[in-house]
Amino acid sequence: MTRTAEPAQRQTALSLIGLSRHFGTFKALDSISLEIEEGEFFTIVGPSGSGKTTMLRILAGLDQPTQGSLLLRGTDITRMPANQRPTAMVFQSLALFDHRSVGENVEFALKMRGMPKPERREQAFELLDLVHLGRDYYNRAVTQCSGGERQRVALARALASDPEILFFDEPLSALDYRLRKTLEVELRELQRRTGRTFVYITHSLEEAMVMSDRIGIMREGKLVQIGTPAEIYGQPKDRFVARFMGEVNIFEVSDHRLVDFEASVSTVKDGFLIVRPEMLHPVDAEDPGLHFEATIAEVFRLGSRVQLHLETVAGLLVSEQPASCQLKPNDAVRFGFDPDQTHSVPE
Amino acid sequence: MTRAWKYVGAIWLALVVVLLYLPILSVGLASLANTRYMRFPHRNWSIGAYTDALSQHETLVLHLTSLKVALLVTVLSVILATLGAMAFARYDWRGRSAFQKVVVLPIFFPQPVLGLALLLFFSALGFTPTWKTAVFAHMVWVLPIVTLVISIRLFGYDPAQEDAARDLGASRWQVLREVTLPYLSPGLISGGLFAFLLSWSNLPLSIFTTGADTTLPEWLFSRVATNYAPVVSAIAVIATLASVLLGCVVILILRLIDTHGIKGDGDHG
Repeated sequence: MTRTAEPAQRQTALSLIGLSRHFGTFKALDSISLEIEEGEFFTIVGPSGSGKTTMLRILAGLDQPTQGSLLLRGTDITRMPANQRPTAMVFQSLALFDHRSVGENVEFALKMRGMPKPERREQAFELLDLVHLGRDYYNRAVTQCSGGERQRVALARALASDPEILFFDEPLSALDYRLRKTLEVELRELQRRTGRTFVYITHSLEEAMVMSDRIGIMREGKLVQIGTPAEIYGQPKDRFVARFMGEVNIFEVSDHRLVDFEASVSTVKDGFLIVRPEMLHPVDAEDPGLHFEATIAEVFRLGSRVQLHLETVAGLLVSEQPASCQLKPNDAVRFGFDPDQTHSVPE
Repeated sequence: MTRAWKYVGAIWLALVVVLLYLPILSVGLASLANTRYMRFPHRNWSIGAYTDALSQHETLVLHLTSLKVALLVTVLSVILATLGAMAFARYDWRGRSAFQKVVVLPIFFPQPVLGLALLLFFSALGFTPTWKTAVFAHMVWVLPIVTLVISIRLFGYDPAQEDAARDLGASRWQVLREVTLPYLSPGLISGGLFAFLLSWSNLPLSIFTTGADTTLPEWLFSRVATNYAPVVSAIAVIATLASVLLGCVVILILRLIDTHGIKGDGDHG
């Protein structure tokens, strides 16, 4: 991961200042403040209905905030209509123009600017190459393209307007797993190569982890936490974020006592311990930390690793071990983790 | 499917076609007779009826009256139906499902009843019935049908296309010209064709609402009933050919849109 600019030198591409969007009494967006840096891949993750799409539509100018303002490199663009903003969006439905050919879709933005046909076609060819479709696709009908091809057409069409910022509204959600993985990597690569700012929305943690420089977690119209993927995974702010970022075991601590295990914790007074599956492992007597009896309930082979469901005094827990792990259902093993090395959250 | 069934199918199809078109053909035959009564077989064949029809000023007046009614009905109902269909397909509003039911209601009235009701309505308001009131009357019946036809096209429409166009730099007018109308055009054209033909051939509503003006179907009806001559059949044939020609032109346009709109270079701007 080499970057030309140090974080300190980076400029702010987009500033959201107290952005709210109310629909009647419903607060779809509740005073969002955020700075997205130039050249950054910023992903907003949240469950459906958390306000992600509303936020993106306001950033693109397709919706107006009830309150707050939006700055693009320091210039207020809150009331600037969508067609004048130097941004482009890849829509969840892709919103391709079905009555136009692939080429006509790609050059739409150029046509709107009044660029003559031969130049438009030349640029469309380049863009089709850039998204790995090739110029043969120029005359094809978009209705004859596969899901992945349509995806690339949508991307090329958005890139055609040479936007300073690209928005993505869950564009990969309808694709199968393999294709999604390929396109995730390609998108990330494209973003690095072009150095553009990408703002991406997804409900898939995995997608966010793979691609993003920073992730913002949204819940009920609020930004709950902003950080790098590692920060969000390792130091979630609360149980909601912890659960949202994948499998997790959560143990309540009350007055330095780990409630489920009748054990004491020196580092935390009240709150919850966040124990990721990979931190829960089989132990020897001399290992530090908390040990307990566990019976293997289920074993799931996930390729490179194994997921174990354990029956313990604290109920059903999840552990993940390397694929070499030989444990079988009904095995009785001592498992443990080190509470002093564990991240904790107040709520 | 066995061979025998295929033959049965072919014969069935042939029967349907013959039974559908034989009556129209018989009008054509009647127009070629030189008698005051419709009867077969003809004693004298003649195209005199056509030369009569074409030389009579009345033929032109009848066609023009029907044409201006039908054209106005077409234009107005396509515009109104598009707005209604968009409001219905695109937005969620109070009374949306009630609108869906109310809008098709006029189709369920027997047309003579509707015609009489409209005549009473016009005279209550103090309007003298002319071809203009007939335009209104036709629209009451035609509009629901055109709305349905255009709605069907709109249901497959992703409104996000318009957002995408805006996002890519299109003004509101460009969005309409480049995205919405090209997508809708097959629906608008077939809706318009329906509107034209339904108005062109309408009798029951016209009878009550045209007042002193006479449309083609009205004239045909009265002349068939009382004062028949081969010229009546000749004019009927001319009117039929006119609407067939219109239908062919529309089908041709739709074909062109279909092939040209998707594949072609389509530089509409």
